[in-house]
Amino acid sequence: MSDLNSTQKGVFVEFTKGFWKENPIFVMLLGMCPTLAVTTSAINGLTMGLAVVFVLTCSSLIISIVRNIIPKQVRIATFIVIVATFVTMVDLFLKAFLLDLSKALGPFIPLIVVNCIILGRAEAFASKNGVMRSLLDAVGVSLGFTVTLVILGGIREILGMGTFFGMVVLGERFEKWVVMLLPPGAFITLGLLLGAKNIIDRRLAEKRK
Amino acid sequence: MEVFLIFISAVLVNNFVLSYFLGICPFIGVSGKIESATSMGFAVTFVLTLTAAITWLINHYILIAFRVQFLEYVSFIIVIASLVQFVEMFIRKTSKTLYDSLGIYLPLITTNCAILGLALFGALRNYSFIENIVFGIGAGIGFTIALVVMAGIREELDLADVPEPLKGAAITLIIAGLLAMAFMGFAGLISA
Amino acid sequence: MNIRLKMVLILTLFACISGGVLSLVYIVSSPLIEANVLKEQDRSIFLVVPEAKTYDEVEKEAVTYFNCKDESGRTVGIALPAKGNGYQGVIRLMVGLTPDLEKITGVAVLEQVETPGLGGRIAEKDFQDQFKGVITDPAVGWVKNQAPEKKTDIQAVTGATISSRSVVAIINRSIQEIKQVL
Repeated sequence: MSDLNSTQKGVFVEFTKGFWKENPIFVMLLGMCPTLAVTTSAINGLTMGLAVVFVLTCSSLIISIVRNIIPKQVRIATFIVIVATFVTMVDLFLKAFLLDLSKALGPFIPLIVVNCIILGRAEAFASKNGVMRSLLDAVGVSLGFTVTLVILGGIREILGMGTFFGMVVLGERFEKWVVMLLPPGAFITLGLLLGAKNIIDRRLAEKRK
Repeated sequence: MEVFLIFISAVLVNNFVLSYFLGICPFIGVSGKIESATSMGFAVTFVLTLTAAITWLINHYILIAFRVQFLEYVSFIIVIASLVQFVEMFIRKTSKTLYDSLGIYLPLITTNCAILGLALFGALRNYSFIENIVFGIGAGIGFTIALVVMAGIREELDLADVPEPLKGAAITLIIAGLLAMAFMGFAGLISA
Repeated sequence: MNIRLKMVLILTLFACISGGVLSLVYIVSSPLIEANVLKEQDRSIFLVVPEAKTYDEVEKEAVTYFNCKDESGRTVGIALPAKGNGYQGVIRLMVGLTPDLEKITGVAVLEQVETPGLGGRIAEKDFQDQFKGVITDPAVGWVKNQAPEKKTDIQAVTGATISSRSVVAIINRSIQEIKQVL
């Protein structure tokens, strides 16, 4: 077991890398489909994000535990079955307790099954690392995903409806940019945000020199 | 007539990529060259059509018959994963060049949201067997069109002056947005 | 152990565990889910047939509708679920009719994915309230940019003619269907 300091540092890095350095959407370009589709409002983005947190965490946990007994050839298939099980649980939960959100997110909840983020993390991390590290990785990456979804959803909601989490932010006089709520708005906003992150990254890199 | 409408709707009006946001990952990943875009498009169309057929059978003869619809996601994804596995083996045996050009993206078709999305939409809309298959073919063609158009644009872009921060995925997304806007013009083509 | 056998066994094992776990979750959650579906149905039926106190679901020759009754059991209206294509997707409605099917008592838009701010305005109360009292014979119609003159017409949402006329078309089609059955 390595010394405590480097373990603590390792834990912190493991947990926070999902927010910026290895942000699933902006850096790994994974999970784009739900990102574009459900971020029509901040609350939708938040719900989807939390659903992914649940699925990714539970799946990574189970996969990490059983990683040594699954034959290599069927690992993707087994991973997918595990993920699909947790996704079904989330879906039933939403339909039972949060029907409106379930309708708003529609088919994208089941589509979490093929969300590249989850399979990507399972393949790259959970299947090769211990339980604790896999858990941190899962929670960190999925929370990074959630934060990004809320930001994207928030921007589209503010410009498209004048509200944020349902609360009116821009007054009556504001001419709503309805296009923000439609596919073009989603693509272009995400593209511009990506460009912005690239600019920030470059500035940071230059500062370090 | 109904069948024709489903087809046109899937190809243009409700294009899987540009309206439903399905299949974005390969859309951004494989749309760099027209050639790979076309190969990917055909592979996906093939898988979509077979998926439409098989998931319909599973849905009607197992899920609905035994009232276990909550096993929909698990059963559909198993079908899709197996199907892609078979398609991969088939392509490897019949066309080595095609297999090589698609590379890693072939097994990745399993996680292409468009495939599962098609299976789920078809089940949700209660299509008949033929309607489901036509839906699959239409979705595949729509996906291929979106991919090839995007590839054409990106090949031209390689020669253009894109601002540094926007290079790569960012500019692709912005162009996708403009394409989506263009495809919105097809809306209303089919009304009640 | 033979690798092929192991593959099949492991996969089957996981599939069975998955099925088992999900069955449990389903048994627990399905009463809640059904209650939710019923709640939405109640809400929309009582909205479009205001005099109704209870209702029965009736299925006659592939047409499903709700027979709405007051306290004494007398039929006060018919609630008809309807759906069809709008401008951007499927529109689901609940249409309330008088027992003789001659007049609309109310319309509720249950689900729509039309353009927010334009076609999406069919979900607004003002648009839906227009249908109250509209006469169904020979068919419901629509006009734009002016107040309707005939008792069969409503005014389309400005800038959202297609969504509005889709709603009217869906209503007409479902009324035709039920007129053939009742």
